[in-house]
Amino acid sequence: MTAVTDIPAYHARLTAGAQAALITVIVGAVCLALEGVAPWLVTWPAAWELPATQWVGAFLDWFLNGIKPAMRLFSDLMTYPMDAANYVLGNTPWPILIGLVTALGWYLGGLPMAALGFFGLSFVLASGYWAESMNTLALVAVSVPVALIMGGAIGILANEVPRVKTFVQAVLDIMQTVPTFAYLTPLLLLFGFGPVVGLIASAIYAAPPMARNVMLGLERVEPEIKEAAIMSGGTRLQQLFQVEIPAATTQIMVGVNQCLMAALSMVIIAAVIGGFNDIGWEVLLTMRKAQFGESLMAGLVIVVFAVVIDRMSGTLATERKRHDSRVVWAVLGFAVLFTAAFWAWLPNPSDLTVLDPMAGAIDSGLTAFTQANGPWLDALKNNSLFYVLLPLRIGLDQAVLPFTWGFQWTPAMSWGLFAAAAAIALLMAWRGHLTGGLVALILIGMLETGIANLPWPFVLTAAAALGWVAGGWRLAALSVGLLCTILVSGLWERALLSLYLSGAAVFFCAVLGGLIGLASAVWSPVWALVRPVCDMLQTIPLFVFLIPVLMVFQIGEFSAFLAICAYAIVPMIRYTRHGLVNTPEEMMEAAISSGATEWQIMRDVRAPYAAPTILLGLNQTILYAFAMLVIAALIGTTGLGQSIYLALGQADVGLGISAGAAMAILALIADRMVQGFAEERRKALGL
Amino acid sequence: MTDANTPAIACRNLWQVFGPGADKALTDALSRSGNDADKAAADLREKGFIPAVQDANFEVEEGELFVIMGLSGSGKSTLIRCISQLLPGTGGEIRVDGENVIGASKKALTDLRRKKLGMVFQHFGLFPHMTVAENVAYPLRVQGVGKKERLARAQEVISLVGLEGRENSFPRQLSGGQRQRVGIARSLAVNPDIWFLDEPFSALDPLIRRQLQDEFLRIQATLKKSIVFITHDIQEALKLADRIAIMRDGKIVQIGTPTDIVLRPVDDYVREFSKDVAKGQHAKVASVMRDDDQRGPDDPGLTTAMTLDAALAHCMELYEPVPVRDADGKIVGTVHPSDLAAALQVDDA
Repeated sequence: MTAVTDIPAYHARLTAGAQAALITVIVGAVCLALEGVAPWLVTWPAAWELPATQWVGAFLDWFLNGIKPAMRLFSDLMTYPMDAANYVLGNTPWPILIGLVTALGWYLGGLPMAALGFFGLSFVLASGYWAESMNTLALVAVSVPVALIMGGAIGILANEVPRVKTFVQAVLDIMQTVPTFAYLTPLLLLFGFGPVVGLIASAIYAAPPMARNVMLGLERVEPEIKEAAIMSGGTRLQQLFQVEIPAATTQIMVGVNQCLMAALSMVIIAAVIGGFNDIGWEVLLTMRKAQFGESLMAGLVIVVFAVVIDRMSGTLATERKRHDSRVVWAVLGFAVLFTAAFWAWLPNPSDLTVLDPMAGAIDSGLTAFTQANGPWLDALKNNSLFYVLLPLRIGLDQAVLPFTWGFQWTPAMSWGLFAAAAAIALLMAWRGHLTGGLVALILIGMLETGIANLPWPFVLTAAAALGWVAGGWRLAALSVGLLCTILVSGLWERALLSLYLSGAAVFFCAVLGGLIGLASAVWSPVWALVRPVCDMLQTIPLFVFLIPVLMVFQIGEFSAFLAICAYAIVPMIRYTRHGLVNTPEEMMEAAISSGATEWQIMRDVRAPYAAPTILLGLNQTILYAFAMLVIAALIGTTGLGQSIYLALGQADVGLGISAGAAMAILALIADRMVQGFAEERRKALGL
Repeated sequence: MTDANTPAIACRNLWQVFGPGADKALTDALSRSGNDADKAAADLREKGFIPAVQDANFEVEEGELFVIMGLSGSGKSTLIRCISQLLPGTGGEIRVDGENVIGASKKALTDLRRKKLGMVFQHFGLFPHMTVAENVAYPLRVQGVGKKERLARAQEVISLVGLEGRENSFPRQLSGGQRQRVGIARSLAVNPDIWFLDEPFSALDPLIRRQLQDEFLRIQATLKKSIVFITHDIQEALKLADRIAIMRDGKIVQIGTPTDIVLRPVDDYVREFSKDVAKGQHAKVASVMRDDDQRGPDDPGLTTAMTLDAALAHCMELYEPVPVRDADGKIVGTVHPSDLAAALQVDDA
């Protein structure tokens, strides 16, 4: 019965997709055919561009100048806690700080956390970056309370005033997609160079996760608990602070954890504007001087901080046992005694060079490695560039040269390729896969043209078609409308370049991450291996990803591509595995008792059931890729990321914000489309 | 009106409609239908509103145990939330001890809850971050009662529900039955006059449920609260209630004593509920007693408070009408054995 009723629905959906694909094909073909006659169809003429960037710049300059006095006052105020934190962290003898962190670790999570704290900080001490680390820590220590208070207040406000809620949620969504560097330019204009910019940027960046989790936590408090508080005769304030917030503690602590990590990540990114002698700056400096050993050491210090902060604050969100507080006092007492006893002999942490030989060894080892494997690494890099990235970017017609492929691409080859694509499409249509055939045709056409050279009417049509299939005409209209703002503002070419690099990375992550996720779901030993790697990759601040790829592959698009992939692949792995593993036991049993083989169960039961979850993973992967794209601009990408980075250097707030907005628009559209598909799948499964 | 006559709770034409702009929609629908509740409800449904409670009218007397029964989605939980003002109520009036609470100020409602109302929830609604004692003492804490005093009072109610020794446990460390005892204790902490119980025993195992029902009756026998009790279980309703209101699709279809519900269901819906009930165990001899004195020579010793089952057992061999006595042993009426048998067979019709 079900099968009979399902078939017409399936066909109806198929035709919707096929219609959309068909229109896209036609528009694309028309654009290609008219390329010679009407070049404006392919490239948006510069004469039609609006000086939107300048307008945005002028408006923001005016606006920022208007609020400058108030902001300067705020920043002057913020210098007091900053100086205090700097002074305290800078002048506390290191044994006491190590003792404090160890004791805190014990209090939060017993022996493992205490050990983590002790060895982590000991490594920082030995690395010789103690002073720089303390400067970074001071920034985090001041920005996190600000972010927690702001985020908490926003979350509570949204919870109390339902009308504000949708607005707050929309703003948080947008803030999540606006790239980190884009925050910095206007802040630079407001506050001038200096640590306060990093402080405020990190507070702004870290507040949304807190707000989100507070909202979520309060929303998820059981209705009966809320009602019980009302029926107990509590006033609204009593209900909120005595019942609802304490009952939401677990979720709020997840927010605290994310807030800490975001603050740390941003403080380190903010180092690119320089001015405060912190650990992020150290990484950047050594990277620029190509001292990769030192830069890796400094990067490891950052990683150690990230791991210690993440794991310790993570215990807040789990139900924790009370650990003997006598141990806390014992550890602290020992630290104080140690300091007192060896006061005269305590080495200045900056003079410690215990690990310097290691940095040197890494440097020389690296040189030896790259020299020994040079041909092989170069071949990997060049082959990836010539045969994959370059054709994707500028199309086969321009990428295939005697220098790269060994022969020259000719128009005849284009015709041959198109004919082959048409044949494939026809064959697939004949076999009943009309949409699939059309999509194949479109993809081959895109490969011939190159993403950066796609005609704008084609891109708009394709976006509209995808939007329409994923989420109806509203999403289609939204996508086209937003893309048009990029088109007329003159950022179109750069947007396409960003689209190309992130698209390539996302595709790579989807395939490889999907496979790793599949393997992890099927063989638990794989997951035992993959899981800690994933945990680590998600803990490391974005910035640090650049160091190893730079060490091996130097500056360039390929390095950026690798850095993006390394960061963005994690959600794909996690969600794929999670979706596949969480197939309800009953369904599996039903399939087994029907006599299905392992492979059939995977194909017919587990994969379809996991599809919405995997799509959400893809969605996260896209957002991660866009986030990293901007950071990767530091090591050589073109496109919007580069513009944002350049704008930062020139304090060009118009360009910075416009390019940031364009980036956010791309991420937002991709996000909505994938969510639309996921939603449709979920509905189809009745979830 | 004297105090003794004022019902603890009185609902008049009470409506709860969900949907945007429900207040106006209800007024419009009522004026269009000429105050015909059924027509107005159908009208509202057609326009996409949900009339979860429609035109509820009933009174709960002081010290009465009033049970509201219905299937899930029949609006019983909505109704109790209207009365306790967890939901605002779209139309009509609710009088608690004679005071209308619809449209009362926030402060007045808070005051009312602090002094007069207690509520028990289906899934307990315990505060996970507080111990048993702190949970129970919370209604006193919000009033600013000192710590020592409120913990002493909490101790009293904790003893009342038999949880001594678990004062410092957290809810997650308790079994379901124990959790609901905490919920009951908390709702009694301020010694309220009116007690709301929203399916308090539905989430519990059958054995624990029976145990708690018995204890609930024991507590009620000493405290004599005015109670609104929600359940979807007809057995529970018949066991506990002084009177039962049966709800269907937001409407109260019948209000009556357990005997009324079992022996004189107003429609098929109510009959369907009582079908599985062993009637003889709930209906009393009084319900089939006649007011004449034409009886035969036999006197098997029936009393008005006897269940039909017991009465029938006494009259197994008898065909003539027999006398019925009240609690004092005075003859007050007559029962025909055939009536007894007939009363137990209504269903087969």
